[in-house]
Amino acid sequence: MGELWVDGGRCQGHARCWALAPETFEIDEEGYAHVIPGRENSGDEPNVRKAIRNCPERAILERETNDAGEKASEVSAS
Amino acid sequence: MSTETERGLSHNKSDFDFHGRSLDNIFDEYQDILTNGPVGHSNKYGGFWYVTKSEDIFNAEQDPDTFAVGPSMILPPFGTDVPLIPIDIDPPAHADFRKILLPMFTPMNVSKLGPGMRETARQLCHEVLAAGDVVDVSAKLARPMPTIIFSRLAGYPEQDWPIFDRWIDEIIYERTAHPETAYAAGRELNDYFDRLLDEREEAGPEAEPSNDLITQLLKAEVKGRKLTREELLSYCYLLFLAGLDTTAWAIRSALWYLAGNPQAQQQLRENPDLIPTAAEEFLRTLSPVQAMARTAKKDTVVRGQEIKAGERVVLVFGAGNRDPEVYEEPNEIKIDREDNRHLAFGGGIHRCLGSNLGRAEMVIAMEEFLKAVPHFERANDDEPWHGVGPLTLKIGA
Repeated sequence: MGELWVDGGRCQGHARCWALAPETFEIDEEGYAHVIPGRENSGDEPNVRKAIRNCPERAILERETNDAGEKASEVSAS
Repeated sequence: MSTETERGLSHNKSDFDFHGRSLDNIFDEYQDILTNGPVGHSNKYGGFWYVTKSEDIFNAEQDPDTFAVGPSMILPPFGTDVPLIPIDIDPPAHADFRKILLPMFTPMNVSKLGPGMRETARQLCHEVLAAGDVVDVSAKLARPMPTIIFSRLAGYPEQDWPIFDRWIDEIIYERTAHPETAYAAGRELNDYFDRLLDEREEAGPEAEPSNDLITQLLKAEVKGRKLTREELLSYCYLLFLAGLDTTAWAIRSALWYLAGNPQAQQQLRENPDLIPTAAEEFLRTLSPVQAMARTAKKDTVVRGQEIKAGERVVLVFGAGNRDPEVYEEPNEIKIDREDNRHLAFGGGIHRCLGSNLGRAEMVIAMEEFLKAVPHFERANDDEPWHGVGPLTLKIGA
């Protein structure tokens, strides 16, 4: 499982992730989504999977980590 | 016209239209187009390419350098040839204009409006009940609710509200058959906002209601300067049309569906927690915005079809929302559909600014209507699924 993040270059503020998985996503004052700090590893939870599948911009991604725990390639979770 | 043969298209709909009575049977047409020729050319409205696959629409929206919104994403025009801010503005100017109102439309800000919205919905539903057993719920709820809620948010004085429906009808719904009517109403609407802005500026900042949209626009700065009167008028014009009409359609179409489908109606009565999920499904299948236009900035290719720089392109969201490659049984309305990445609010940098408000209004309208009003059915089967015209219901049938 990778580290969950919202690509700020793709997110357009639909806020579907926040509606479906408010325990993992928060919305900033301009309406853009972010993963709540400490919730980067919640990518396997059903609500989060649902949020990923419903994001109209396909902006919720998982960052693969290699064996050393370093950030490696970025792959779409959709 | 023999555009199809000239362009070598095998299965083309040269009369494809997405307005008025064309919407009556458009879902059958979408399936035909999606199956047999998902990109084609219509001769309507000066000619445009239609793009119907969900993936193609998504890709076009992610590429504003190729698929620009200027001169306008509205086809045919909303009774004006002035580019509307922010929807008809391309990068780089677009982001600064959009940023002004983004904070007003976040889910948190919208939820602050919740109690007021609910109170308005309750009052209107009460009036529906008081009107008897056969009631036009479009006139009694679907239209007035967004008018009241958006007008308060925007700062339109209450005494002006009664005239708003006519401007919407003439600008949005007469523009295909009678463009001159739309332009005449457009001039009235523009003059209305010119006077309203005069009044607000004369009254000065102390007299202004603290946090309405017009105040935000008057205070706003773009690149270190205030907005010009022309820019303010354009922004006000767009907000008016976007804030009132689409939500009215969304509420009306949801009630239209529930009136014709007693099982779904009963299911939502028994399980109101399902209403937000159902709202997404109504937005997917009966969306008020069936299509929006772009203009190719450079030569490009969509699904093998060449499109030349300068040609109009219409992204048919309503068709993409019924694309069998994306949705299981796309033409079935399943009020508990969970995977619903639809295009009702568009996407990319022009995502509907008011999507969170529109959703909230729709959900609250359905919740309060189902709470207040007993079993209802359609009283007139000739009333179409689309638009904001009458929706006559038999209540307590």
